Amino acid sequence: MSGKLEYKGRLSQIPIYLGKLFRMFVYQSDWKALPMAALIAGLVTFAVGANLFKTQEGTLQGGFALVCVCIWNGFFNSIQVICRERTIIKREHRAGMHITSYVASHMIYQAFLCAMQIVIILGVCHLMMVQFPEKGLITPWFMVDLSITLFLITYAADMMSLAISALVHNTTTAMTVMPFMLIFQLVFSGGLVRLSGDAERITDLTVAKWGLQGICTLGNYNSLPMVALWNMIFRFKDIDLYGEKPIAAILNEIQSRDMLDLVLQKSGEYSQNAQYVYTVENLTNCWLHLAGVIVVFALIAVILLEFVDSDKR
Amino acid sequence: MTVTFDLINTVYNAAMWLLTSIGLRKIFDKCGLMGLYAFVPGYRYRELGKCSRKETEGRICMILEVASIVFGAIGTAIDSTTREGLLLELIAVVSAITLVILTIRIAAGLCRTFGTRKFWILLWTLVPAVPALIWGYSKKYQPIYLNREEEDEILAGTMPAELAIPADAGDIGAGEAKDGSGLYIRLRERTVWDFLRKRYLLKDICLTIPNGSLVLLLGGSGSGKTTLVNAIIGYEKADADMILNGQNIYENYDKMKYRIGFVPQQDLLRMNDTVIRTLQDAAELRLPSNMADKRKAERLEDVMDTLGLTAGCHGLVSKKSGGQKKRISIGMELVSDPELFILDEPDSGLDGVIARELFQRLRDVADSGKIVIAITHTPDRVVDMFDKVIVLARDSGRVGRLAFYGSPNEARAFFGKQSMEEIVRSVNRTSEGGEGRADEFISRFAVERTDSLMLQENGKEGSSDEREA
Repeated sequence: MSGKLEYKGRLSQIPIYLGKLFRMFVYQSDWKALPMAALIAGLVTFAVGANLFKTQEGTLQGGFALVCVCIWNGFFNSIQVICRERTIIKREHRAGMHITSYVASHMIYQAFLCAMQIVIILGVCHLMMVQFPEKGLITPWFMVDLSITLFLITYAADMMSLAISALVHNTTTAMTVMPFMLIFQLVFSGGLVRLSGDAERITDLTVAKWGLQGICTLGNYNSLPMVALWNMIFRFKDIDLYGEKPIAAILNEIQSRDMLDLVLQKSGEYSQNAQYVYTVENLTNCWLHLAGVIVVFALIAVILLEFVDSDKR
Repeated sequence: MTVTFDLINTVYNAAMWLLTSIGLRKIFDKCGLMGLYAFVPGYRYRELGKCSRKETEGRICMILEVASIVFGAIGTAIDSTTREGLLLELIAVVSAITLVILTIRIAAGLCRTFGTRKFWILLWTLVPAVPALIWGYSKKYQPIYLNREEEDEILAGTMPAELAIPADAGDIGAGEAKDGSGLYIRLRERTVWDFLRKRYLLKDICLTIPNGSLVLLLGGSGSGKTTLVNAIIGYEKADADMILNGQNIYENYDKMKYRIGFVPQQDLLRMNDTVIRTLQDAAELRLPSNMADKRKAERLEDVMDTLGLTAGCHGLVSKKSGGQKKRISIGMELVSDPELFILDEPDSGLDGVIARELFQRLRDVADSGKIVIAITHTPDRVVDMFDKVIVLARDSGRVGRLAFYGSPNEARAFFGKQSMEEIVRSVNRTSEGGEGRADEFISRFAVERTDSLMLQENGKEGSSDEREA
C-alpha cells in the first residue's frame, strides 16, 4: 500500500452500522416491535375505530388513540438503543467511528422500523373494518396522506427517545424517564385536556398536538357531524314538565321528519375548530412541525453523543 | 401559640446543631483532622466526608448546607404563599431529600470507618447529635480502617517534596530505542478537576519502550494503570509528550489513533452479532479505505488464524466462551495491525492455560516488531514472556508514580521479591493488604535513575574527550 492513508469517512461508515442494526433486528428482539404494533393497533381500533372519520367525537378520540399508538411505538423503538451500548460506542469512537454516521444509521434504521409499523397499523385498521375517506388533501389518496402523517408522528417520537437514549447512561434511567415523556405528550397534546394561557403554548412543543391536528385536519373534522349534543339531549328525553315530555316530543319530531342528519351536521358546524381547518397549508404546517422535531432531536442526539468520551469509567 | 412553637423549634435545632458539632469535634480529632472545623457550617460536612471516605458526598453536603442557609435567609424576606416563596420551598424540599440520602451514605461510611453496626446509620440520619457525642467521647469508638500513619497519607495531600521526581530527570530505556523508534513517554502530570479541586492522578512518568517489546504494566488498584494507558494512547490527554516512532500521538491523534490498538478490560462487543461480521466491521472501520478488498480479507483471515477464531466464526458472539470473547475483542483491534497495542487485563476470567496461550499470541505480535503493553492482575503465570515491567504505585499523596521500569529480573532484584505479585503487594497500601512501601521504592528508583543518567552523561563526556584527544 502506498501514498496517503485514508479511512472510512462519515458517509461510508453509515452502511457498516446500518448492516449491524439490521442484523440486530434479526438476531436481537428488535423485530418484536412489529407484532407489538399490530397488537396495540388492534386493541385501539377495536375500541375507537367504529366512529373514526365519521363523527367529530369519533375522529377526535380515534385520532388521539392513533397518536398515542404512534408515540408509544416511537418511544419504545429507540429508548434503549443507544444507552444499552454506550460503552461500545465509546470504544468505537476511540477507534475512528463518527458519531454523525452512527446516529444517521440509527435514523435510517428507525425510519424503516417506523414505516413498517405504519404499514402494520393501517393493515390492522383495514382488517378491523375501519372505514377511511378516499380523497386525500395533499396527495390524491387519503391513505397516503394518513400514512405520511402517522409516520411523521412515530418517527418524531422515535427521534425524541433516541435523544433521551443518547442523554442517559443506562437502560434503567431511560425506562424511568420514558413514562414522564409519554405523560407530558399526552397531557399537553390539547386533545383530551383543554389548556389555556401559558399551558396552551407548551402544546406547540409536543408531537401529540401536531399529530392530532394533522389527523383531524386530514379527516376533515370541521365537516363532520357532531353527535355529542344529540346524545346529551337524548338522555333528558324522559323529563316530565306539567305532565308532558317536551324533549321527547322534539326528538320524535326531528326523527319523524328525517332531519336527524341535518341536526347532527348543524351541531357539528357550531363546534368547528380553527386548528383543524381542512386546508393544504394546515396539514403541511403540521408535517413541517413534526419534521422540525425530528431534525432537532436528531441533532441533540449527535451533540450529546459527541461527549461520550467524557463518560467516567 | 405559633410563636412559642417556632421558638421551641429554633432552640431545639440550635441545641442539636451545637451538640452535634461538639461530638464531631472529637470525631475529627480521632480521624486526625482539625476539630474546630466541626463548628463551621457546611465545611464540617466536607471533613466528615473525609472521615467516612465519602469525600464527594461530603462536598455536595457542604454546598447544600451553605445553600440552605443562604436560601433560608432569603426565605425569611419572602412571603411563602407567593410563586417565589413556593419555588424556594420546592428547592428546600429537593435539597433536604438529597441531604438526607447523602447523610445516609456518609453515615454508612462512618460505620465502616469505626467498625460499628449499621443501625447507627438511622441515628446519624435522625438525631446526629447522639452518635456524634457517643462516638466522639467514648474511647470504645476508634477509626479502625487505618493506622495513624496511613490516615496522614490519606488526609495530608501531596507527596513530600524530596520524593518528587523532576520532570526533566530524563528517560529510562532511551538507549535501547535507536533513531527515535519505539514509544517515548514523558508524562509530567495527569490531573482532573473534582468539585473545584485539582486532583493529581499521575505524575512524573518518563520512559522509552523499544519496538518489539512485550511490556507488563503492574500496580495495585487505583495506582493509575488505566489512566496511564488512556494518556499514552491520547484518549484522555495528559500534560505529556507521547512519541510513537518519531510522531507525537497528541499532535497527530486523528491519524495516529488508527495505528494504536486498545483492548478494554470488559468485552465491549455486540453480543447479538456474528463473530465474522464483528471482525469484518472492525476491519472496515480501522483499515484504510483505499486498501484493496483482497488484502483486507487476507488480513482478517490472518488475525482469525492467529487468534484461533476461524472455527465457528459464523456463530453469535453471545454463544462464545469468555476466552473466545476476549480473543474477538483483541481481534477487533489487532486487525488494523497496530504499532502500539495495549491490553487492559486481557486475561481476566481466563484460566491459566488459556491465559498463557493468549499471551503467547501477544508475544508473537511483539516479535513482529510491535510494542505490546498489557495490564494483568495475575502476572506470574506469564511473566517469563515479558521483556519489560513497568510498576506504578500510589504515593502518600495518592498520586500514581513510576516505581520501576526494567526487565522482570531487574524488578525482582530491585524490590527484593521473587514474584510479580509480591512486588505489587510491596507497593500496595497496608489497608489493602500490602506492605505500604510505595514511597520508598518511588524515591529509590528516582535516585537510581538519576545516578544512572549521570553515569551515562559522564560516559558520553569521557568518550568525547577521548575522541578529541
